[in-house]
Amino acid sequence: MRQLALLSALAATSAFAQPPAAILPSGQSAQGDVSVTIYNNNLALVQDRRTLAIPAHRSRQEFPDVSAQIRPETVTLSGPGIAIVEQNFDFDLLSPSALMQKAIGETITLVRTNPATGQETREQAKVLAVNGGTVLQIGDRIEVLRDDGLPVRVIFDRVPENLRARPTLSVTIDSTSADTRPLTLSYLTPGLGWKADYVALFDEGAGRIDLQGWVTLTNTTGTNFVNADTLLVAGAVAISGNNGGNSDNDNADDDGDNDNRRTIRNAGTQSSGRERVGDFYLYPLAERTTIANNQTKQVSFLDARGAAAAKAYEYRVGWLATADEAASADTVLKFSNGSGGGLGDQLPAGTVRVYVKDARGAPQFIGESAIPHTPMGSSIAIRTGAAFDVKVRPEVVKRDKIESDEWERTARYRISGGRGGNETVQVDRNVTYYRTTMAYTLTNARPAPVTVDLVQAGLDRGFHDTRALDETVPGEQKSLDERLYHVTVPANGRVVVNATFETRY
Amino acid sequence: MAWRRAFAVALALAGTAAGAQRIVTSSAPDKVAVTIYRDPSRSAERKMDLSWLNGYALISETRHVRLPAGESALRFEGVAGGILPQSAIVAGLPNGVVEKNLDAELLSPGNLLDRSIGRRVHLRRTWTKSGRTVEEDAVIRSGLDGAVVLQTAQGYEALRCTGLNETIVYDRVPEGLSAKPTLSVRTRSPAPVEADVTLSYLSWDFDWQADYVATLSPSEDRLDLFAWVTLANSDETSFVHADTQTIAGHPNRSDYERPYPEFTRPLQLRCWPSDTTAAAIDAIEAEDIGFLPDRNIRDSLRRLPGVAMAAPPPPPPPPGMQAQQENLGDLKLYRIPEPVTVAANSQKQVAMLHRAGVKVRLVYRSDVAGAGGWLPVSRVLRMRNRAADGLGLPLPGGTIMLFAGDAGRPLLLGSGALEDKAVGEEAEVTIGSASGIRTRMVVIGRTPRGVSGALIVTSDRDRPIFYEARFAGRAAGKGLIRRDGRLVWATTVPAHGRILYRFTL
Repeated sequence: MRQLALLSALAATSAFAQPPAAILPSGQSAQGDVSVTIYNNNLALVQDRRTLAIPAHRSRQEFPDVSAQIRPETVTLSGPGIAIVEQNFDFDLLSPSALMQKAIGETITLVRTNPATGQETREQAKVLAVNGGTVLQIGDRIEVLRDDGLPVRVIFDRVPENLRARPTLSVTIDSTSADTRPLTLSYLTPGLGWKADYVALFDEGAGRIDLQGWVTLTNTTGTNFVNADTLLVAGAVAISGNNGGNSDNDNADDDGDNDNRRTIRNAGTQSSGRERVGDFYLYPLAERTTIANNQTKQVSFLDARGAAAAKAYEYRVGWLATADEAASADTVLKFSNGSGGGLGDQLPAGTVRVYVKDARGAPQFIGESAIPHTPMGSSIAIRTGAAFDVKVRPEVVKRDKIESDEWERTARYRISGGRGGNETVQVDRNVTYYRTTMAYTLTNARPAPVTVDLVQAGLDRGFHDTRALDETVPGEQKSLDERLYHVTVPANGRVVVNATFETRY
Repeated sequence: MAWRRAFAVALALAGTAAGAQRIVTSSAPDKVAVTIYRDPSRSAERKMDLSWLNGYALISETRHVRLPAGESALRFEGVAGGILPQSAIVAGLPNGVVEKNLDAELLSPGNLLDRSIGRRVHLRRTWTKSGRTVEEDAVIRSGLDGAVVLQTAQGYEALRCTGLNETIVYDRVPEGLSAKPTLSVRTRSPAPVEADVTLSYLSWDFDWQADYVATLSPSEDRLDLFAWVTLANSDETSFVHADTQTIAGHPNRSDYERPYPEFTRPLQLRCWPSDTTAAAIDAIEAEDIGFLPDRNIRDSLRRLPGVAMAAPPPPPPPPGMQAQQENLGDLKLYRIPEPVTVAANSQKQVAMLHRAGVKVRLVYRSDVAGAGGWLPVSRVLRMRNRAADGLGLPLPGGTIMLFAGDAGRPLLLGSGALEDKAVGEEAEVTIGSASGIRTRMVVIGRTPRGVSGALIVTSDRDRPIFYEARFAGRAAGKGLIRRDGRLVWATTVPAHGRILYRFTL
């Protein structure tokens, strides 16, 4: 027993032989030359080049002022003449509860204050257990700490070595020589991200669009990055298990079969003169900048003027059905980001806000839409909203069941055995068609004629072709499922389009 | 860690223990080995949750003990908090083990009160106005299920229904209550002995995985592959200077159900109804209105003409310590060659492997699911785990971070997950999606046998790329091959190219 106690006492002194980590004067960052590469789904790669005095052979280096949300498993430390022995990330945090937990079996000091006189009395107490409450042994008596609600201060002699103010990254390195030299620490962190915000000024009369692109950079890492060389990367970098990161903005075009809601109508294959690596485009910031915690920073990255653009109205009828009420057509702004007459640049995912000048020449907001990462040379259609004056009402005028004289052979069985040997039985079924006559009423309350791209969808019913007959406006089969009509509606006018479809069901 | 053991709780209890049984406390191991097993239900793509680790560890401790003659209870303190008591094996006791106990009845304020029913305690009352303290003897007559009723010289009273500050002071800790769950064994010895006892047990709150850092060559056909063993301990116990191993593979576990943490009964006192007129004032909730973003700073972005690249980054430094792989039955064991400290609430990384020039193929792949919009394609890294391709060693599962080596700074291309891969297996890792390469499927028509469709693939990359379309179920078309049970069309898309492929489904 005595030997054990001696051993423990030795261990206790050795645990505190190591000096605590150097704490810098407040306000001064331990960061060195910082480079930040920010991806647009809440993820950044931080490179921090710090000049450190390194002793020969093994030493343990702590790295304060890294991102509070650091992903410790992504840390890499490199530098001349060093080898990595191990990397540690300690998150045993210093809190009143942890302090008391680690003091089990230890002696602490209690300071009781007399509530009336303010007089203080000191006592030594041993912590017996910390389970829901703290059970103390004071002399030969057992008490529960602050059970009677009276003020008692608890004073600990020291903080256990393992408890830290914040999660601490440390790397044990093996150095060939002792000197001061730069080491590069790199790691990934969520909490730093960017997105693109576009301001589109549409001049309807001239059929032109000016597009300005702004990068909006946000930092919620809990850490300031001082004087950082910043590079923004556009593209979808997927991180498995990244709880902080949202997936890329590509869900903007993930709208099933509904072509009208799609932003990219035709994907481009061109590339701009911008720097790129692999599938990513790089947007470096012109000068070093400090990205403070909880700061939103905006940086201009695109200013394209005079690209050809056109306004269009689109309406999609999901299936052969009657609408109770006329519904507004979508107002869609169409342009290209290609080199000839287009914007001439790829567009990172973000939000496009469209402005139009009012009668007094002041720009007014008319709607916004999310776009996915859009390669250069794409045809883009941005739905800005629903048109107030242009409405469409589809109506089923007539629906007939057509019993064709055709009989379809659906099954054939051979019954074997029985009295007369083998016998063949045939099952036939009458084929039924449906003929649906649709009437689309398009109204225009604007003082100028408009053209509405009217799409009748829901025509692909599987297994059998659908036929369109008797159309008052010539239709264009876009796919098996959709038929498109370009309908011109006169100023303050109304047009009724009729079409008849034969479908199997 | 060590200071907690300096004063053993059990010493205080030892004196009160009744009977001939002597209590011997072993406060800390002299030597410890930790073998960490992966959470069997965590897939490679799921990140370790450092606050809730569901893997486990085998902990083997060697403790030097002195046992008196006769029967003694040997208590092991300083074992992991997540110990699975039924897994404990105690070896090295000269006369074997009579019985093995885990004392889970914890010393908490509630249990202290509950176990003191019928005993004489001291009731201490303080008048806050005058600071006067009066202590009188009392006997606890009713436990905490309901309220505490005490018998004093004046009669029967209820604890803390007086409006005074009251607490109970005890003379001793009732038997059988311990500060932490404690494992003890009962043994008999004819004479006093000294022995080196080995205690082995399984414990929760550990996990590990491999973390791969891969750098893709500028030609996109070679990898520099480095891997860490990343192990984590979220237990409250540190293992100092431990022989540390991790195990890859899947040892079978039945009854893999983690016990919930011990519920300690809170001390809740109820009194007779005592509402007063002031009790009905509602608290006003403060509303967090968040921070105001700083939108004043505006920088601008550089626009770099063409691709201007600096020298490739230096390779990762040589490992000063590398885990060694051994075969352990049908499992793989990774041994950290030197003893290391597996601290409480910490994560540790040690190098595991490094291979340069691993042959890979970067393939862009999409699944042809149905007609839709312009969808981005997945980026797949395909390699074969064989010596001829620069690999040929067991690859335990984990995450893989892919970096581009041709930028001025390391550029993350994405991350993916790798399941356990034996030598000779093909490994495919999906690393994010490429937004510049898009595909779209269009239904052209229907035949009695199915749908005829077209797949359009566009690329904005300035080099040819490998592309694969995977078809679900039956498909027919030129050049379809079968790979891993699926029909695949593989092609090369030229730089800035657009390809159309016709098929029937």
